[in-house]
Amino acid sequence: MKFAVRLSILGMAFVTMFSVIGLRLWYIQVADGPAIAQAAEEQAWLTKTTPAPRGDIYDRSGNLLVTSRLVPAVFVDRTFIQPEQRPELIQRLSALLALDPAQLEAAYEDAGLNGRFQVATVHNEIAYQIVEQLRTLPGVEVVKVPERVYLTGPTMSHVIGHLGLPDARDIEERPNLDPSVRIGKLGVESFYDEPLQGVSGVQEYRVRRGNIIDQGSAVEPVPGHSIILNTDSELQQVLELALEEGIALSNDVKEVSRSRGEDVFSETKRAAAVVIDPQTFEVLALASLPDFDPQVFVAGIDNDTFQSLNETFAFNNLAVSGLYPPASTFKAITYTAIQEESLPFPSDIEGVDAENRLIHCDGQLELPELADGSPQVRPDWYAPGNLGWLDIHGALENSCNVFFWSLGLGTWQARDRVGENVIQDWAKSLGYGAETGIDLANEASGIVPTRQLFEEWAVYQLENPDEPPRLDASRLNPELRSPWFGGDLMDFAIGQGAFTATPLQAAVSYAILANGGTVMEPRLVDRIVDANGELVEDITPPMVRTVDISETTRRDLLTDLNKVVTTGTARAAFEEFGPGLELVGGKTGTGQTTATKDNHAWFIGLAPINDPRFVVAVLIEEGGSGGAIAAPVARHILQYLMGNEPTPIKAGDQTD
Amino acid sequence: MTAVINRLREVAVVRKNNRTDWLLFGTMLALSGFGLLMIYSATVATGTFSMERQMIFVAAGLIIYMIFSNIDYREYRSMVPAASVVILILLVVVFFFDPINEVNRWIPLGFFNLQPAEFAKVVVIVALATLLAPPLSRDELTGPRTLTWPKMGQACLIVAVPGYLILREPDLGTTMVFGFILFTMLFLAGASWRQMAVLSTAVVAGIAAVFRFDLLSEYQKNRIEVLFRPDQVDPQGIGYQLIQSKSAIGSGQLFGKGLFAEDSFTAFQYVPEQETDFIFTAVAEQLGLVGGLLVIVAFAIIVWRLLVISRNSRDRYGALIAAGIAAMIMFHVFVNIGMTVGMMPVTGLPLPFLSLGGSFYMAMTLALGIANSVWLMRTPVPGENQLT
Repeated sequence: MKFAVRLSILGMAFVTMFSVIGLRLWYIQVADGPAIAQAAEEQAWLTKTTPAPRGDIYDRSGNLLVTSRLVPAVFVDRTFIQPEQRPELIQRLSALLALDPAQLEAAYEDAGLNGRFQVATVHNEIAYQIVEQLRTLPGVEVVKVPERVYLTGPTMSHVIGHLGLPDARDIEERPNLDPSVRIGKLGVESFYDEPLQGVSGVQEYRVRRGNIIDQGSAVEPVPGHSIILNTDSELQQVLELALEEGIALSNDVKEVSRSRGEDVFSETKRAAAVVIDPQTFEVLALASLPDFDPQVFVAGIDNDTFQSLNETFAFNNLAVSGLYPPASTFKAITYTAIQEESLPFPSDIEGVDAENRLIHCDGQLELPELADGSPQVRPDWYAPGNLGWLDIHGALENSCNVFFWSLGLGTWQARDRVGENVIQDWAKSLGYGAETGIDLANEASGIVPTRQLFEEWAVYQLENPDEPPRLDASRLNPELRSPWFGGDLMDFAIGQGAFTATPLQAAVSYAILANGGTVMEPRLVDRIVDANGELVEDITPPMVRTVDISETTRRDLLTDLNKVVTTGTARAAFEEFGPGLELVGGKTGTGQTTATKDNHAWFIGLAPINDPRFVVAVLIEEGGSGGAIAAPVARHILQYLMGNEPTPIKAGDQTD
Repeated sequence: MTAVINRLREVAVVRKNNRTDWLLFGTMLALSGFGLLMIYSATVATGTFSMERQMIFVAAGLIIYMIFSNIDYREYRSMVPAASVVILILLVVVFFFDPINEVNRWIPLGFFNLQPAEFAKVVVIVALATLLAPPLSRDELTGPRTLTWPKMGQACLIVAVPGYLILREPDLGTTMVFGFILFTMLFLAGASWRQMAVLSTAVVAGIAAVFRFDLLSEYQKNRIEVLFRPDQVDPQGIGYQLIQSKSAIGSGQLFGKGLFAEDSFTAFQYVPEQETDFIFTAVAEQLGLVGGLLVIVAFAIIVWRLLVISRNSRDRYGALIAAGIAAMIMFHVFVNIGMTVGMMPVTGLPLPFLSLGGSFYMAMTLALGIANSVWLMRTPVPGENQLT
């Protein structure tokens, strides 16, 4: 091959090389250029955000519960750190702050190019130490940042909630969140996060070789709004202490029962209570035990502490998310339905005087014999012996199951005329089976069982045999016309069966009965004010609907509820109430779940009875009898509310 | 005495039409001036007087160019052994000085740092040409020009010794330049396809061995990996440099942001090492694709002229020198611009005539001066020994 040919080959190779770089240049400047230019423009300006101080939280009397204080924090801004300065900086800073260098290194890496991140909040002495050395610590800043302070400790923790960094779901729901700024988790901190949060301040700047060369105008942070609760911190403390004593009382009673050889299944650990104003639906107090101290989240909670709290359900607000059969407390609703709908008495049953609307409360209900001649008897498990013939008033006062069973049976028998869901419809119109709409997240809606619901469940269960069953297998027998029986309606009439409700729902239903039928959404927060105290939003509980309840029924019910505490099932618990016992009322409840669990103790109290301003719902989970355990707790709270000196909590009568 | 004067007159008449390659010289001068402007734009805010320094190097380079243009390139044949010894000593001497930026590449001379590796490129080109195009006897002139295996081995050795020393500095980029020059010159010297295949196989095997036995340092591996993941590998150092470089070039788009545009990466010194290895980003950002392509065209003219000189050389020796210089410049341009656009690893090869740097600039003008000498000497004068 001639030299000239070889030279030509070389020339062609060189032409190719020039073409390749020319094409590549065209690609990144013209084809890809606009996108790169756009990205470059964004990269040129750096932003530094200053978190806004979060708004304060006050109780209804203006007591400061939660605030923010400024504490020194160490920040590292990578913009001002040359790569070769990095190892020394990390080593020195981790020594100064007593941090693991690897952890600091990881945070440094996560911050990304030109990133700025908070290393830690520090004590004043360390802050001074670092400030003195700033000259030799490039990229390090000491800045005051707001830190949350919970002045009341665990008190009201379920109302207030706590703060935490946004997780993936929060960011998905609110894409504008700054992932480095803590947001409210649980409680009003979460529900009112946006007004509390404020707006972070922003400063844009450009840097050349570690020096700021150009600054945009600074936008100062706007402090968050403050909120004023309807909740009263003193009442809240009374409530929480009473619940704690109630739990202790329940365990004492269980100890006695155990020594007598009776069945006791568990230690009592959890309880919940709410106090609402039935006229305004303001939530005056709301407690759930166990609780937690929101302050532990401020410094950053370690995993072990979090897990151990989580295992006790300390983060579950049982008052709005705990579901329990409302049991005999529901008799007040059945009572109202009976009176308002004139529900029929059953026929062909012994011990029924339909003409005078009386039932013989002798401790058991004898149903008609079955086809094979065997007797059907329902014993009333708490019947304190033979109460004789009782009308509806005596039945409520003494919580006579036989009476309400009978009316359930009568309704079942006459279902074609009065409607098979007439009692359930009353329950739903009084708030059961749906969220109350309180200003808290994770509210449970509960279950109001009906024939339709059971049939849906049955179909679902047959189609999805692998999922946990909701109905007993015997109900799925294809020979049955329906998985729903008359007995289910009878159980529903006394608040049992598949029926579940939250303590708040129970309180709301009594509030509606007490105010004559106005349904509103309960509210924990009264108003939102700005940093200067000017009103931003006045929060009035929204009206949902009204329920038609006759004044006669309302008066009778309130009178009968007063009898419960004077002569009925809560008589012993209210013995020490003191002056004004005629002004309080309430209803006991003992919720049964399974044969291997202790009963849930309920009491719902009202005062003043002629025109109630307080509804108190108390639930001691697996606490035992409502009359013995929950009623004394409610009495203690009602004593406080009515201006009496609260007396010690001790066991009342074992009742329904 | 009269004879000498007559002889000179005779030579002058014959070479009357052999003027300096003005296109080559003009393009070189244009690129040098343009380079000063670019260095100024990239460093005006730093107060380092980089452009002023480079002006001194340009002046020195032009003097070197003129001197070497007027020396008969054939004189170097006899000087190769001495030049090789000097350059090898200098390449060893660099290791006795304190490293700058962790590498031993320079000999500090006070007013500037001498980088022997840059001049070694030129010495190696001349040495290879001397080896591959020896003076021939009249009989050999008619026979086919072939490359013997021992000669190929010798050529490899000429490159391997300085190449190894430079690799130890470390300066992988310059070592690669040596490889490219060797490859090109062996091809032009008449290497058979088999010889080229053996050489290629050796190169591929060498690269494979390097990866197989993990001979690259972490630093060198990073520089290859960073091409694919600049935001993850070494994002503070080379990755950052690459991202900034691509951002600067990309944001220049078709016509650029304008010379001395205030809102540019160049003005803000956002591209590390911009006035040296990354000078092309200053061109492409401020003057856009148009400016970038003009620079590429200028280099294409230089390389084209060098190949023309090679084609027209009076002897194979001059042809090989010119082609070797063309290969050197081509490789620098390809790797340097390729690096700034994220296509080639960051190897620290500067861009001829544009990048700030004394040794490199002077080595380049030296090379073009020698090439110009090949051009000036292309026509044989009666009585001259033509058999080279």
